[in-house]
Amino acid sequence: MRTKRPAIVGLIATLALVGAACSKTSTPLSGGSSSTPTPGGVYRTAINSFGFTDGFDPTGEYLSTSWEFYQAMLRTLVTYRHVAGVAGTQLVPDLATSVPTPTNGGLTYTFHLKPGVMFGPPVSRPITSKDIAYAFERIDSTPEAAQYAFYYDGTIVGMHQHAGPPAPISGIQTPNPTTIVFHLTKPTGDFLYRLALDATAPIPQEVAKCFPTAGGYGRDIVSSGPYMIQGANQVNISSCSTIKPMSGFDPSSHLYLVRNPDYKQSTDTARSNYVNGISVTIDSNVSDIFNKVQSGTLDGTLGTQPPLTVLSQYQSSSSLRPLLHSDPNNAIWYLGMNLATPPFNDVHVRQAVNDVIDKAALVKAWGGSVYGQIATSITPPLLLGNQLTQSYDPYATPGFAGDLAKAKAAMMLSKTYDPKHDGMCDVAACKNVLMINRNYAPWSTMEPIVVQDLAQIGIQVVPRELETGASYQTIETVKNDVPLYLNAGWGPDYPDPYTFAQPLFSTSSIVPVGTPNNSLVGLTAAQARADGIPYPAGGVPSVDPQINHCEGLSGSARLSCWVGFNKTVMQSVVPFVPYLWSNEITVVAPSVTRYAFDQFTGIVSLTQLAVNNNATL
Amino acid sequence: MMRYIVRRVLWMIVVVLLITLFTYVIFFVMPPVNPAVAFAGRAPTKQLIAEVTRLFGLNKPVWEQYVLFVKHLFLGDRWGWPGLGFSFTTRSSVRSIIGSRLIVTAQLAIGAALVWLAIGIPIGILSALKPRSLTDRVTMGIALFGVSAPAFWLGLMALWLFWFKLHVAAGSGYVSIGVGFFTWLNHMLMPWFVLAFLFAAFYARISRAGLIEAMNEDFVRTARAKGLPEWQVVVKHGLRASLTPVVTMLGMDLGGLLGGAVITETVFNLQGIGLYAVQSIGNGDLPAILAVTLVASFFVTLGNLLVDILYAFLDPRIRYS
Repeated sequence: MRTKRPAIVGLIATLALVGAACSKTSTPLSGGSSSTPTPGGVYRTAINSFGFTDGFDPTGEYLSTSWEFYQAMLRTLVTYRHVAGVAGTQLVPDLATSVPTPTNGGLTYTFHLKPGVMFGPPVSRPITSKDIAYAFERIDSTPEAAQYAFYYDGTIVGMHQHAGPPAPISGIQTPNPTTIVFHLTKPTGDFLYRLALDATAPIPQEVAKCFPTAGGYGRDIVSSGPYMIQGANQVNISSCSTIKPMSGFDPSSHLYLVRNPDYKQSTDTARSNYVNGISVTIDSNVSDIFNKVQSGTLDGTLGTQPPLTVLSQYQSSSSLRPLLHSDPNNAIWYLGMNLATPPFNDVHVRQAVNDVIDKAALVKAWGGSVYGQIATSITPPLLLGNQLTQSYDPYATPGFAGDLAKAKAAMMLSKTYDPKHDGMCDVAACKNVLMINRNYAPWSTMEPIVVQDLAQIGIQVVPRELETGASYQTIETVKNDVPLYLNAGWGPDYPDPYTFAQPLFSTSSIVPVGTPNNSLVGLTAAQARADGIPYPAGGVPSVDPQINHCEGLSGSARLSCWVGFNKTVMQSVVPFVPYLWSNEITVVAPSVTRYAFDQFTGIVSLTQLAVNNNATL
Repeated sequence: MMRYIVRRVLWMIVVVLLITLFTYVIFFVMPPVNPAVAFAGRAPTKQLIAEVTRLFGLNKPVWEQYVLFVKHLFLGDRWGWPGLGFSFTTRSSVRSIIGSRLIVTAQLAIGAALVWLAIGIPIGILSALKPRSLTDRVTMGIALFGVSAPAFWLGLMALWLFWFKLHVAAGSGYVSIGVGFFTWLNHMLMPWFVLAFLFAAFYARISRAGLIEAMNEDFVRTARAKGLPEWQVVVKHGLRASLTPVVTMLGMDLGGLLGGAVITETVFNLQGIGLYAVQSIGNGDLPAILAVTLVASFFVTLGNLLVDILYAFLDPRIRYS
């Protein structure tokens, strides 16, 4: 999952969002979402810290706020409409003339580029298929440190991450400047989604070649979309030595985007581009950001979650309430269990944990339903076409408050951990069970609830609270063999269940350090041996065959397959107690005449909102 | 005197080097997180972790990394002198970032120091000259409030009251003096006063105690006996003798603040060294953390050196030769 900023230091605390399906849509603005917004003005916003993962270089950048900036700056072969809900998850052509149907048994995708689409200053020339191929060549070159190359490695013929500089890829052909052909190694039902990721946007080699290592190109990104970094037209690209950072971007203070003079709205049906500019400044004081929005100095927030005091102020005031937006962002938060470690190597124990946890209390600890909807399965409903909503709950309890009798009944089925058959875990493995957590709210607030609930079935939890990064690295290191973790959440890179299934549950995603499969689903004896952890006698369930099967499908068959997969995971594998499909909270000023949420990035849509201020850049 | 200064400067270099060593060990040898893993994304491959490790120079032995760091510090790196390395987060020179942020921090620290001296010392004098009077009790009461009020609370309250509610002050953020003197001043006044309030209280109390003690000394009685006007007795004799601890504090406080006034910078969104330290810690940007620590320790030791030199001028009894 791409990273969301905590308030870093906030950090980053990726706050979550919720399932659209069920979803509450955004609260309408009192000022009225104008049906015909007037173009102009500048959307002025502030964030706590950019927190870039790769210096804003699209090849390696993996941060949701960055992806929203890219929606305004970069165009890909296909893209989304940058709106909320199901409409925001459907692909539309962007640089391509149409969304192609694969040929050759799903192995070949051919795209034709729209005429008249150009790079912005300082390049200002037509975009060709070679510029797109070059973006893939950068992804394939390890010195560029692409952070989600795994979506293409082994999928596109000839892509396998090499150590040298960008080089041609055998599986990508550019027979002429307006045609690009991708040859795949296997049918990949979500390949088109992967082509909407920003690392695949065209990159002009004449500029990017001057930045041979990761992140350097981030200060001089050449726009292919409606907005460009202010000062792009001042950059001299006559040689590498003359290229200086664009003035509109300073990672420590601001990002100013202005209209790209070489962009033609007629070639773009996915973006409205009402505002003349976007001003993003760094403000270290989160309360100050919200004060500035309320005073009209800023027009809205961008991925910054409000302090609870601010939230209550907006929720309780009839004049402020319409300016508060809460949109499902397709992320999930869960209590994770390690399938390879006692007592969670027994499915009955894991089911008992699901039965006993008071999910309603956990969500209340987050701040209530404005932060999202109680989760009952792994994949947020929107990603499953709303075929698996809250009505599917294999561990249903009254009011989502947990059911001790049901949990004890499940525990009694465990011969290993409940030898007394009293519904309590009776063995030493249930004492001093380590649980990793974050050291700030809402995670720290939820902690006593989990400790208390599990104690009711004999599991004595010993929490260890860590800073966000340390907590992740602890559970992502296999040899640590962490039995229980409350710190983790997951969000999709694109609206397909594969971005949950593969990283969270596949054997191949188990790597010694940095594994996203924290529950070690599908761990093999060889992997356990290599990482120096004990392998349970009963083995560890694997869902690799189902993942591989679903991944090869497309259309409704694919959707049904993922629905079945989710049921299998929830009922037979049971690695998590999912408790929240989270929402992104945005606060805007009355100057925002049209609010829009980008379902793809999970934050406010910069290319669809409108303001009526007179600000300039 | 010169020999003394040279000797102190050399010691200062040793102290800074020791601090860099300790900092290096803390942040590079025993980091809570591996920066290469943190920067390799959410599903890192071995190759990517190895590449990021190489990119950050973390694949070399720690001692070699440290020696290289010290070499760059003294001889400069490819971004100039002093070489402070390369930020993992911004992928740019730490030196240039520190340089731009130091300007902001220096304006905050020096401005606040002037304010707290202008407030603290007169209050201290007034209280000392009329101990246990109403003036003494009121001013010392205010000083006690200043010492007790946390800077983050004071800053948030000041912003809320003077900017958000009364609209009489500029809000948060830094504006360069090049934009306009009064605009700059308007943005700096609130941070100066908030920061100075805490320090002014300390300085008032120290000045008061020092002056009360000095005014009871024999040389003050002698000055009075000579028939000097009272103001000359206070300013030329009493105050000068009581300033030594004030100068000591000023050197250390100013040195510390030049290394970053973390809370004030964060609350008022001043992109200074302190805020940079906070952001770097949050981002796991080890070279930046190291550089900030280095800069902070440099200013603290420099402040101490200057104080020691100033002693000789303030107190005729001190001679370093």
